[in-house]
Amino acid sequence: MLAVVQVLISGVALGCVYGLVALSFVLIYKATETVSFMQGELLMLGAFAALGLHLGAGWPLAAGALAAVAGTALLGAAFERIALRHAVGRPHLVAVLLTFGLGLMLRGAVASVPAAVQETYRLPLAADVVQIGAVTLAGGQLLVIAATLLIAALLTLFFRATRTGLALRALSEDARIAALMGVPVARMHTLAWALGAGLAALAGLLLAPLTFIHLNMGLVALKAFPAAVLGGLTSLPGALVAGLFLGVVEALAGLMLPEGVKDVVPYALLMLGLLLFPAGFGAGRAGR
Amino acid sequence: MTRTVRWRSVLSSAALLGLAILAFGADHALSQATLVATYALAGLGVVVVVGQAGQIALGQAALVGLGAYTEALLVSASVPSLLAIPVAAATAAAGGALASLPARRLGGLYFGMSTLAFALIVEEALVRWEPVTRGAAGLAVPALQLAGQAVDAPASQALVSVAALIGAMLLCARLFDSRLGRAWRAVREDEVAADACGIDPVRAKLLAFVVGGALSGVAGALYAHWIGFISPEQFGLMFSFELLMLAFIGGAQRLAGAAWGALVIVAIPQAISVLRDALPGELARSAGLETVVFGAVIVAVVLLRPRGLAGGR
Repeated sequence: MLAVVQVLISGVALGCVYGLVALSFVLIYKATETVSFMQGELLMLGAFAALGLHLGAGWPLAAGALAAVAGTALLGAAFERIALRHAVGRPHLVAVLLTFGLGLMLRGAVASVPAAVQETYRLPLAADVVQIGAVTLAGGQLLVIAATLLIAALLTLFFRATRTGLALRALSEDARIAALMGVPVARMHTLAWALGAGLAALAGLLLAPLTFIHLNMGLVALKAFPAAVLGGLTSLPGALVAGLFLGVVEALAGLMLPEGVKDVVPYALLMLGLLLFPAGFGAGRAGR
Repeated sequence: MTRTVRWRSVLSSAALLGLAILAFGADHALSQATLVATYALAGLGVVVVVGQAGQIALGQAALVGLGAYTEALLVSASVPSLLAIPVAAATAAAGGALASLPARRLGGLYFGMSTLAFALIVEEALVRWEPVTRGAAGLAVPALQLAGQAVDAPASQALVSVAALIGAMLLCARLFDSRLGRAWRAVREDEVAADACGIDPVRAKLLAFVVGGALSGVAGALYAHWIGFISPEQFGLMFSFELLMLAFIGGAQRLAGAAWGALVIVAIPQAISVLRDALPGELARSAGLETVVFGAVIVAVVLLRPRGLAGGR
């Protein structure tokens, strides 16, 4: 029983990371109708940037983490300004190829740093263990869960209570009418990419205590992608909940099913979900 | 595609092959030609799905892999190659149908998601089903046997793969002119209007994935013979995107485009290795150079030539 509880909590922690990456997919998709295939690379870059600033340049960890998230967000905005805005209104294939190409460039750039390829690293972030009753919890897991709750609250506040958040919501309802109502569409697109990139970097920092920092840590985005789709692709709470769900199911599958099944569970659920709930879990079976 | 254009592309391919033989030596040039023709055949599958029917396939490499593994397993069980290749094509076609099934009513981007998920499942299954696929260790594939002869010389391999490509292109040209081809283009342009004209869009899209899968499956079967060794990671996400890129470079809607796209995709690593020799020390040795250049080529082509290299501006 105790083992199950611990596995469940580690599933929730990993699910929070899936949920955050899924949130970044959905943020970008809602505002610009493009699916980003570079979120994994942005996540990896964010973690490596914090690591480099902390270990390489000797910054305090908090400052390094903050700078890494802000820098990745700026990079996302720059990508939008230079390249990604040309994909708006074009076939989906254009954005898919563009983001994949940009992701390859990021990956290659990190791989060019010899120190990044040779080893895996840990961030000295919440490394201690917490004992609650009989259950032993890793500090990293608690940190991830707490941070995810905080980010979800901040995002809700941003979308409900600020004019910019309102403008982003209007844009995702109907871009043309939003433009007529005075929403600066181009600037909002830049903002959406910056938010999406920053959120991915943040997810990378939170993933660091759970796994390691290495070149392939971006693969986690491939599992977050089903979460975004299962959540309906346009629902922020849906993405977070679906991420949590996938994390828990994956952890349970790892406990009960044969080796290897755990890794395909998100994809099998994605296919099953599309088949049964074409408009996302939230919309029920009615579909469209 | 008019007759003059076809002659021009035949002549320019022959001239290109001649130049390559002069530059690299006959064996290397012929093996590269084999690779280009096989890539182009696999890319034709993407051209059908993306260019003709206007959908997205992000997992085409898995279908190539299904074809390759089916061929390898059947040939190892001493089934004749000529019998095994149609089975490989059928397996990949069934895979294409299965991959597209969940998104059949949603279309567009959702096909991308379901084919991507399918491809990741196939890759994991090939790794884990060790008794049959030997997992990550991979399978050795014997040479292709045609009419009692082993096709293992570079010249005969090139001949077989170019013949297969031309055959597939002729078949596709016929298909695109048929009722089904017109249905695909109608669905691509406007699904609602196509539906109103009596075309069944769900059926048309499904058949695009079936035909595309079969083409990629044949390419996979040939590829397994040419390379002589297959393992799951050869058919991963990167290969899927290479095929997508290939179709895009070639101008997704043109048949001949697949061949030009394949030429570019095969040439990029070669160009990078030339570049590596030319660049000074530190930069040339860096592990990420190839990835950066490949990504930059994708971004540049998409931004500068949005309709593909063959499509003009």
